[in-house]
Amino acid sequence: MARFNIRPYIFIAPALIYLGIWIFYPILNALVLSFFDSPTGRSRDYFWVGIENYIKLLQDDLFLKSLYHNIIWVLLSIALPVVLGLLLAVLLSGRGRTRLVYASIFFIPHTVAAVCAAIVWRWIYDPSIGPLNWLLETIGLAGRPWLADESIVLIAVNMIGSWSYYGFCVLIFMAGLQNISPELYDAAKIDGAGALQQFFYVTIPLLRNAITFVLVYTIIGSMKFFDLIFVATNGGPNEASTVVGLRIYWHSMREGRFNYAATMSTILTVVILVLSVAVIRQIVTEDEED
Amino acid sequence: MTVKDRPRKRRSYNSSRMMKSAIIHAILLLFVFIALFPIYLMFNAALKTSAELFQSFLSLPKDPQFKNFAFILNEQGYKGALYNSMILSTSSMILTTVISVLAGYGFAVYRFVGKQWLFLLVLTGLMVSETSVLIPVYQLLQDLGLLNTYAGMILPQAALGMTFGVFLMTTFFKDIPRALIDAAVVDGGSDMQVLRHVIMPLARPAIMSLALIEFMWAWNSFFFPLVIATKQWLMPMSVRIIDFMGRFTFKYDMIAATTVILFTPILILYLITQRSFHRGITFGALKD
Repeated sequence: MARFNIRPYIFIAPALIYLGIWIFYPILNALVLSFFDSPTGRSRDYFWVGIENYIKLLQDDLFLKSLYHNIIWVLLSIALPVVLGLLLAVLLSGRGRTRLVYASIFFIPHTVAAVCAAIVWRWIYDPSIGPLNWLLETIGLAGRPWLADESIVLIAVNMIGSWSYYGFCVLIFMAGLQNISPELYDAAKIDGAGALQQFFYVTIPLLRNAITFVLVYTIIGSMKFFDLIFVATNGGPNEASTVVGLRIYWHSMREGRFNYAATMSTILTVVILVLSVAVIRQIVTEDEED
Repeated sequence: MTVKDRPRKRRSYNSSRMMKSAIIHAILLLFVFIALFPIYLMFNAALKTSAELFQSFLSLPKDPQFKNFAFILNEQGYKGALYNSMILSTSSMILTTVISVLAGYGFAVYRFVGKQWLFLLVLTGLMVSETSVLIPVYQLLQDLGLLNTYAGMILPQAALGMTFGVFLMTTFFKDIPRALIDAAVVDGGSDMQVLRHVIMPLARPAIMSLALIEFMWAWNSFFFPLVIATKQWLMPMSVRIIDFMGRFTFKYDMIAATTVILFTPILILYLITQRSFHRGITFGALKD
């Protein structure tokens, strides 16, 4: 063990102090706020209420609905852009330089601000003058009021998210695939493995790092997202597309119920943490079984 | 197998292979179309008049309406919003990058007590989102008198990307051969000299990647600016854009022109520096 050296601490101090002020202190503060309430909105005369906010939250149908929508969003995002990204990355592997061209193009939607994407797609989805229904009607299918129909609005908005996300997944998986040595595929072929078997027994296990990363990133992104839904539907129609982020914004900035909103924030943080750790654990345990 | 058999065999192999390759190409092109078509529609709509757009959104504009952009920037006063976006993105990019490089150096080069724990702490920060910290951050800004100021927008925005920055810089710097650093230290180099003359030249692409990604995040950011900048003169483009939707319902040409103004700088930046973007985004994912 080297003698105590102050220098590394000097280098990491700015980051730790900065993150302490703007990330870690707020997280703890949200937790503290969740055990208090204030007599009127926005007032800071807090009084202790214990877990009352949490009890209210569990009886708040709208909150439960929004949390449910977040979970659905996680599942949709895994089912579509993540799986698609993996398949496209596999299709791209083994192509020389064109691979990079494709990946670059797929990634372009990810550089579009969520706000922009929502605005453009609102127009595309517009039931009377939007391109999508026009396209569908041209080929003889019935158009729909995509963002005004309670039964499909969440899927329709998720399509916007998926549009901007699949290129990101392709990029990560493609980089992961590059690390797999071709000899492993040759060995699998000699052992008589078909394309599907190669995919499940060579590609998937060796992409473990990339898959873990994408899953965790997807969970975090799906639980916290706000911009896209705020602009696309603002939770409507009839709260059929509301999510936790919107509820937090509504209760705090519109109603001034900061403590109640802070309770939601705390739950959100915990859910993200639990889900992420669960995914990491699951995949790490599988690793040990091999 | 005789030599004569060979070409024939190869041909049949090739035709099934070509079939497969054609299908793969078709799938890839489909997704190229999916990625680009909405963006084509956006640019196309921005360059048309409302009337022309109503007739067809597919055809190229007969008479590109570049004045749509001038109208929005000058007459609607969106020039200021663009300026605000520039200030927000540049400042938070610089702040995040500088602090992340320093921390990355500390974490990657030194061994010290509590290193693992402190690094893990930073990593948990990756899971924190704007929505999780909104209320305390808002109240903190209120107490500091920073609501509706540039500093109030920039400071928390920089923090959001910083966990990623520290993580990325640490993993990058760890890849730099230890011998190079040790040699510099033996030669009596101070930390700052090592950082400037050994690390920086080797890690310039990595730092560049981080800066670009942070710039893009801040440019596209919406939630904090929406809450913190409620005065119109301070709003960045991403927030001001919403204003349009209320005032110009169904004026899709104008709405599209505004989105084009917000998107184009990032698109150009991305097209010029794709590699850098890709490196930054994939590196962190695969080095854990």
